[in-house]
Amino acid sequence: MVTIRAYHRPTTLAAALELLARPDVEAIPLGGGTEINGLPGRVPSEVVDLQALGLADISRDGATLDVGSMVTLRDFIEHEWTPPLLRDLARREGPNTIRNVATLGGVVATADPESGLVAGLLAYSAVVSIAGASGIENVVLTDLVGGGKGLVGSIITSVQIALGGDGTFEATARTPADTPIVLVAGHRSDDDSLLLAATGVAATPVLIEPDGIEDLRPPPDFRGSADYRRHLAGVLAARVVGRLPEGGPA
Amino acid sequence: MTITVVLNGEARELTCAPHESLMAVLRREGFYSVRFGSETGETGAAAVLVDGRLVSSDVMLAAQADGHEIETVEGLAPRMSLHPIQEAFIATGAIQSGYSTPAMILAAKELLAADPDPSEDQIRDALSGILDRETGYLRPVLAVQRAAAALRGEAVSDVETSVVSPLTYDMDGVTDPEGIPAVSPKVVPNPEVPETNVVGRPEIKVDALKLAKGNPAFVDDIDMRQMLYAKVLYSPHAHARIVAIDDSKARSLPGVRAVLHHQNVARVRYASGGQSYPNPLPYDQVSFDDKVRFVGDRVAAVAAESVEIATEALELIDVTYEVLPAVFDENEAIAEGAPVIHDEDGMDGAHDASRNIVHHISADVADVDAGFEQADRIFEQEFRVHQVQQAPIEPHIAIAYWDSDERLVIRTSTQVPFHVRRMVAPLLGLPIKKIRIIKPRIGGGFGAKQEMLIEDIVGHLTMATGRPVRYELTRQEEFVSSRTRHPQTIAYRTGVNAAGHLVAQEMKVVANTGAYGTHGLTVQMVSGLRGLTSYKSPNKRYRCDVAYTNLPVPGAYRGYGAPQALFALEAHMEDVAHALEIDPLEFRRMNWTAEGDPIDVAPQLGEGEADTSFVPVVTSSGIEECVAQGERSIGWQRRLDPEWRQPSDRPNIRRGLGFAMCMHGSAIPGLDMGAASIKINDDGSFNMLIGATDLGTGADTILGQIAAEVLGVPLDDIVVYAADTDMTPFDTGAYASSTTYISGMAVKRAAEETRRQIVDRAALLLEESAGAIELRDRQAWSTDGRSVGLAEIALSSLHQAQQHQIMGTASYVSPESPPPYAAQFAEVEVDVDTGQVTVQSLVMAVDCGVAINPVTAAGQVEGGMIQALGYGHCEEMAYDEGGRMVNARFGPYWIYRADEMPRIDTYLVQTMEKSGPFGAKAIAEIPKDGVAPAIRNAIANATGTRINAIPFTPERVWQALHSKG
Repeated sequence: MVTIRAYHRPTTLAAALELLARPDVEAIPLGGGTEINGLPGRVPSEVVDLQALGLADISRDGATLDVGSMVTLRDFIEHEWTPPLLRDLARREGPNTIRNVATLGGVVATADPESGLVAGLLAYSAVVSIAGASGIENVVLTDLVGGGKGLVGSIITSVQIALGGDGTFEATARTPADTPIVLVAGHRSDDDSLLLAATGVAATPVLIEPDGIEDLRPPPDFRGSADYRRHLAGVLAARVVGRLPEGGPA
Repeated sequence: MTITVVLNGEARELTCAPHESLMAVLRREGFYSVRFGSETGETGAAAVLVDGRLVSSDVMLAAQADGHEIETVEGLAPRMSLHPIQEAFIATGAIQSGYSTPAMILAAKELLAADPDPSEDQIRDALSGILDRETGYLRPVLAVQRAAAALRGEAVSDVETSVVSPLTYDMDGVTDPEGIPAVSPKVVPNPEVPETNVVGRPEIKVDALKLAKGNPAFVDDIDMRQMLYAKVLYSPHAHARIVAIDDSKARSLPGVRAVLHHQNVARVRYASGGQSYPNPLPYDQVSFDDKVRFVGDRVAAVAAESVEIATEALELIDVTYEVLPAVFDENEAIAEGAPVIHDEDGMDGAHDASRNIVHHISADVADVDAGFEQADRIFEQEFRVHQVQQAPIEPHIAIAYWDSDERLVIRTSTQVPFHVRRMVAPLLGLPIKKIRIIKPRIGGGFGAKQEMLIEDIVGHLTMATGRPVRYELTRQEEFVSSRTRHPQTIAYRTGVNAAGHLVAQEMKVVANTGAYGTHGLTVQMVSGLRGLTSYKSPNKRYRCDVAYTNLPVPGAYRGYGAPQALFALEAHMEDVAHALEIDPLEFRRMNWTAEGDPIDVAPQLGEGEADTSFVPVVTSSGIEECVAQGERSIGWQRRLDPEWRQPSDRPNIRRGLGFAMCMHGSAIPGLDMGAASIKINDDGSFNMLIGATDLGTGADTILGQIAAEVLGVPLDDIVVYAADTDMTPFDTGAYASSTTYISGMAVKRAAEETRRQIVDRAALLLEESAGAIELRDRQAWSTDGRSVGLAEIALSSLHQAQQHQIMGTASYVSPESPPPYAAQFAEVEVDVDTGQVTVQSLVMAVDCGVAINPVTAAGQVEGGMIQALGYGHCEEMAYDEGGRMVNARFGPYWIYRADEMPRIDTYLVQTMEKSGPFGAKAIAEIPKDGVAPAIRNAIANATGTRINAIPFTPERVWQALHSKG
């Protein structure tokens, strides 16, 4: 694991940002910790645990769901307002021992290339609130995952999801619960626009276009060559589109 | 830092470092039920409840738990009592090794607190974070259901065996072909099997209490003062010479107590496979060499005051390598011009080290060329089987220390304590009498621990430092640096006459034994034996080259060489039947080995000295009944139904059913030996000392049942102590499906000798002739109805008259290895657009003779099938071009979870094997044999595509479907 030299549990956002802003100290925010605490290597660091910042609430403002970054995947799954697609994808992030601790903010921050939930949030055009030295900034998830916006010295405080519409996903994996080789999530919003996002076809989960599959350059691994992943993206995207017809279910 | 927690209901202040995991702190505080499985939280062995929720404490900092409530299994029930969930896990046979049982019990506790009547899906989700390599999850699910009922206040009855009527023979008193019980174990009785009282009953495991309660029972569950911690520097190169090694910086690091490598450890050659004396040649390993032969090979070892210091010290060892060309494929390794992996002196016994051929094996029955000349049709196929890892949830771990007599004690997670003692002695330069090996409970082995793998490291380091030394493999090290299954390229050639009978069968294998020979000879002998025994053919030929490569080292893995051979054989037989347009079951039935048939290739492919004068014959076979039960359970007739095979509402899905016949062995004839000693105590109970090694399989329990049956007492009166080289008789160890058959007969004979002495004493007390005495219900009875209790007999014998310790000792070696049989069926769905295969159902009907304990036997089948499912379906060791394993952790490697299981159904078909204890044959390994070919044949049934390599991962299947055009 990361060699952790000091553990902090600030009780205010300002204190947490201050701990992260120290120029001479490598400090990382800690959500559930299930990724960081299992990382190999011996990188010296300090951790700033966000559990006492009051970021674990789910609220709703009209058609927008605001999910605190420290909401665990379990609480996200069990919440009545969570869209079914995102609930199903959150369930696939890991078994209960992980879902009980891992947080939505942590999933977004790490942006695991194989995270179906991140793909789902991309399809939902999720917006991420990030607190930094200059205040809170709202960033479209696409920009964050795409690397346009860094997180150093800042804290994800919440994720906003526009409710409504309909979503579904398709995946191909070695076994039913295995991390998919390719997963395609789709969301058709109330204005009938359709967004598709996929894992397994780029270095991070990405938005894809049904007619842009051939342009994808998936990184191959032992579970799937680039050609195969491209093929899967096409097949799965077509299935998702077929299940989300324009104008709603036939 | 100090944290404040409520721990099992008690407010506690705990000291921890900022980096320490909650698991580490809890174990330091004596909560040994929290166990290490990996560094990444995937096994769930370290799961605890935090604020009532199950979390993996290995990926949670102790500091994160500050201010929270923690619950471990130690808090569930006080001493001498059990929580209803613990009772349910014990009663249903949900516990095998028990390593992860505490985590499962906590999962159940959390679930049942929220929902007293959960669905099976909810239960499986609750268990999904705890990987289990042993049970197939079926019994843990039953346990949670039973616990739920008990906690709701409903009455729960004793777990009983479900009796299923036979389909191919008559059985008086059993007449219910319609009422198939839903819950295993399902036993198909046999009229030849006599009535018994303890044998054949689903008795509670003798070690269940300590496992359900999480009591300290495993290697790591002891604290020793002055303990040092070992770490090993492993090679980053697949093939290299160590030109120089400078350990000065590591030695000067504060807290480092020893650094060992090839320059300061004696070069003693050995073979690491845990096998009988003399270990098969060549002896191609030394503790530390000046050459490395795979990524993960040993370079140096450090002992330090902490794991962290030892890890830091490894980085300070300066090694200069001369990197050499490497070869990974077995066929390329034996081709001309391949790099020579063992070019050192002393390679006695290697077939041709200059060509990387460590062994060449051949066996012939009659004249196979003449047989092919008589054949009307000849079929040839080639198959490839890959490399997988046993992946026990408890990795290899050993602790060495000097005892007060200055003898070296090694407490180790091993399947072969007696072999380890004999094999480690010369490496350490100690006489055998100066070494004691203790095997406590171990968290699974599956063959990986049939090795002398790390005991020399802790031994060397303890001798170098004088202090206790602990070494536990990381999960990555367990994948790469322990042992694996041999990959093979297998070619079959079969000649068939016009009537559909085999007239000649040839099997050629090129096997990959990685960097070292270890089990390379014997695994491949078993491949030939199993690959040419299931079916009768008057002419047979086996040829095998075993190749060195620069891969991590294969060794023993449950099933030994059989799963490889039977994948190829059962795929081949399926395809031959298809080509001949004969029903695949009927084709096998026409050719399979039946009672009275010789196992003709066995004398040439046994592991002992070849004795061609003794050709064993099949003495019992229940394969016909196994097939009938399996056919009914899987719904075999559906395979010909086009509407079922291609569902109209799912155009991309094809369904199929597949079959594989399995035939295995029961121990290594003429070589495997077990021994037992049984003595009576003052109260008429018995201590039974056995060398046999229980890996979690229930061996201690079924051996106790055998003794109890003979002695006329309940199992509870047999106190079992096992596998300690100072205290128990010898046993070759837990491998080759030998424990029930061999150690069981040793126990039976020791019990019979003890019974003889009891009867003599009873005859004295009852003034009756010994021949008229029988033992039952803790009493010795005369024919006229008088009795004397065993306690009275013991007191008389120990204290009162003609004093004498009633005690029986016996050993057993068998000239035979009676084969268990099984019918394996699989149901699959194939997504023809993506290649994804979903296994819907696995059914196995097994003839293991008489199951001494139907619950533990069924557990072996259920768990074995799921391990075999991983072999055929998803598990693989993947490498980059340099030979580095790229998926050496559980996520990307992937073993099946509780929430994604196919339906599994198990039948135990009784036969009466007269050479075995109470009719028993083996059961441990045969569940590994048939799943991969049954899936393969099901995919063929579904799609018409025949795939000759495993695993059936999506891209492989898609490519095969695609290439079909």
